[in-house]
Amino acid sequence: MSLAQTLKRYIRLYALFIKNSVIAQMEYRTNFITGLLVETAYLFAKCLYVIVVYQTDLHIGSIGPDQILMFIGTYTFLTGIYWGLFGINFIKLPEHIRNGTLELLMTKPISLQFLVTLRHVDMGLALPNIIGGITMIVISWNKVNLDVNFYTVGGFIFFIIIGVIITYFLFLIPQILSFWFVKTSAIDDVSNSLWDFNNMPMTLYPKWAHFIGMYLIPIFIITNFGPLFLYDELKVSDVFWAAGVPFILISSMRLMWNKGLRNYSSASS
Amino acid sequence: MTLISVQNLTKHFEYYEKEQGLKSSFRNLLHRKKMVKAAVEQVSFEIKKGEMVAFLGPNGAGKTTTLKMLSGILHPSEGSASIMGFTPWERKNEFKKAMSIVMGQKSQLWWDLPAIDSFYLLKNIYDLSDENYNNTLNELVELLDVKHVLNIQVRRLSLGERMKLELIAALLHSPKVLFLDEPTIGLDFISQKNIREFLKKYNRDTQTTIILTSHYMKDIEDLCDRSIIINKGKLIYDGKISEIQSAFQRKKRMKISLSELLAREQFETLGSIKEYNGYDVVLEVENERFKEIAHLVLEQYPVQDLTIEDIPLEEGISLMYQKGEQDQ
Repeated sequence: MSLAQTLKRYIRLYALFIKNSVIAQMEYRTNFITGLLVETAYLFAKCLYVIVVYQTDLHIGSIGPDQILMFIGTYTFLTGIYWGLFGINFIKLPEHIRNGTLELLMTKPISLQFLVTLRHVDMGLALPNIIGGITMIVISWNKVNLDVNFYTVGGFIFFIIIGVIITYFLFLIPQILSFWFVKTSAIDDVSNSLWDFNNMPMTLYPKWAHFIGMYLIPIFIITNFGPLFLYDELKVSDVFWAAGVPFILISSMRLMWNKGLRNYSSASS
Repeated sequence: MTLISVQNLTKHFEYYEKEQGLKSSFRNLLHRKKMVKAAVEQVSFEIKKGEMVAFLGPNGAGKTTTLKMLSGILHPSEGSASIMGFTPWERKNEFKKAMSIVMGQKSQLWWDLPAIDSFYLLKNIYDLSDENYNNTLNELVELLDVKHVLNIQVRRLSLGERMKLELIAALLHSPKVLFLDEPTIGLDFISQKNIREFLKKYNRDTQTTIILTSHYMKDIEDLCDRSIIINKGKLIYDGKISEIQSAFQRKKRMKISLSELLAREQFETLGSIKEYNGYDVVLEVENERFKEIAHLVLEQYPVQDLTIEDIPLEEGISLMYQKGEQDQ
């Protein structure tokens, strides 16, 4: 099967995963609607946060409220992508390992990683954040009077894609540890806290935190680099680093995944 | 033609023990004494195309672990296996497309969706053509008589209906090798019977090679000619099911109902007394003597009813387990 055919097959499968997830969620109407409402309420809470930024005329270095809105918008958009598309699958991995439900998935003739990490989609989590995030990005873009051209839009989308890839691999790695440790809820808590570091420009944090967030646990690349690119605050070396990080994470993650699968010792039948 | 060849398959698991109480939990936080359990030890066998083989053993014998290694879920600690020319734990897609596993206690159907949506997803996962998918699905749906439940959310179905749908999900891609791990567990008598009949017909019509584990002897007796028995991870028997009985049964079981109370001593010379309550007696007698003893009992005792039967297969197998333990 050629690469194009394989890609087409996986896209078709992913579309079916989305369809099945939506059908399954709609079977429980109350829960589906409540989920949407709760996530929308959270979004409003984030909007209050934006209001505070404007009312206090918060400046972080040279970055003013209109620019900060771009950071919050990018963070909100990527929160929707992370939790709606990946996160709900990631937190199930330790459960699959502990209960043995991973086993039947292992016998399917498609990538197990694809099947386990992308099988469920939660539209209730994804939609409010994605729509809210895009709205904030557009408002900020207008307020800051950024040009709309191939360079700015293309560059921003490039960093968003890099952010999505880093999010996927960076937050999957801790869950893979469950192949060895079975329960990883403590690591989950750390991951979730790290994610929340991202809702403000990284210049807010001290230099040592920059170093950690850029090079050791490259969390800041996810939501900071897109806006920083638009404000012309990125160095060329940062751009190369951002483009290289996904490869490092993909290799590390695959290595761990394959070792984990080999180490899989099965739940009692 | 040999389709499955297993040589010295071995699987060791690491585990640790924790004594009762909080103190030992604290001790375990600092140091855990690792222990190794041999779940499967040097198991070897071969299975021909189209065979349906029962894989038997008490709980914890290593049956499911062996099936998991043969289906590629687990890596063995030692040994080799070849199934249709593939090494299962290399997990090649060609191998996965040619085999299937059903675990009685695990589901591959989406719980919140009607089964038909899960089937359509499997069609795409196995990359089946529309024609193949429709033909196989229609045939299986008809054979298992589940047309009326295809569009109902899986979680709303009975266990029997769900197991039938699990079987369809496992067979949609027409596997050449099928592993069935307790497919009738928890089912009522009629559902068990339906599934047995289906499997019998499916095996006969498609020549699919099947390895079946079950604790229900009726499944084994009805479906398989050959059985492989393991206990404590070791293979203790590989042969015809009918020979399990002949190997252990040089005896018959005689159930006697009496119209008057008789003393236990009056039966002691006839054979070994298995049950006694004064009016009902169960005796085990040597095969060579059962006619003579039956005659004697009918002539000299106040008999209301008398039945003579072979010792049930379960007991033959239990004796086999015990023998295996003594040998080890």
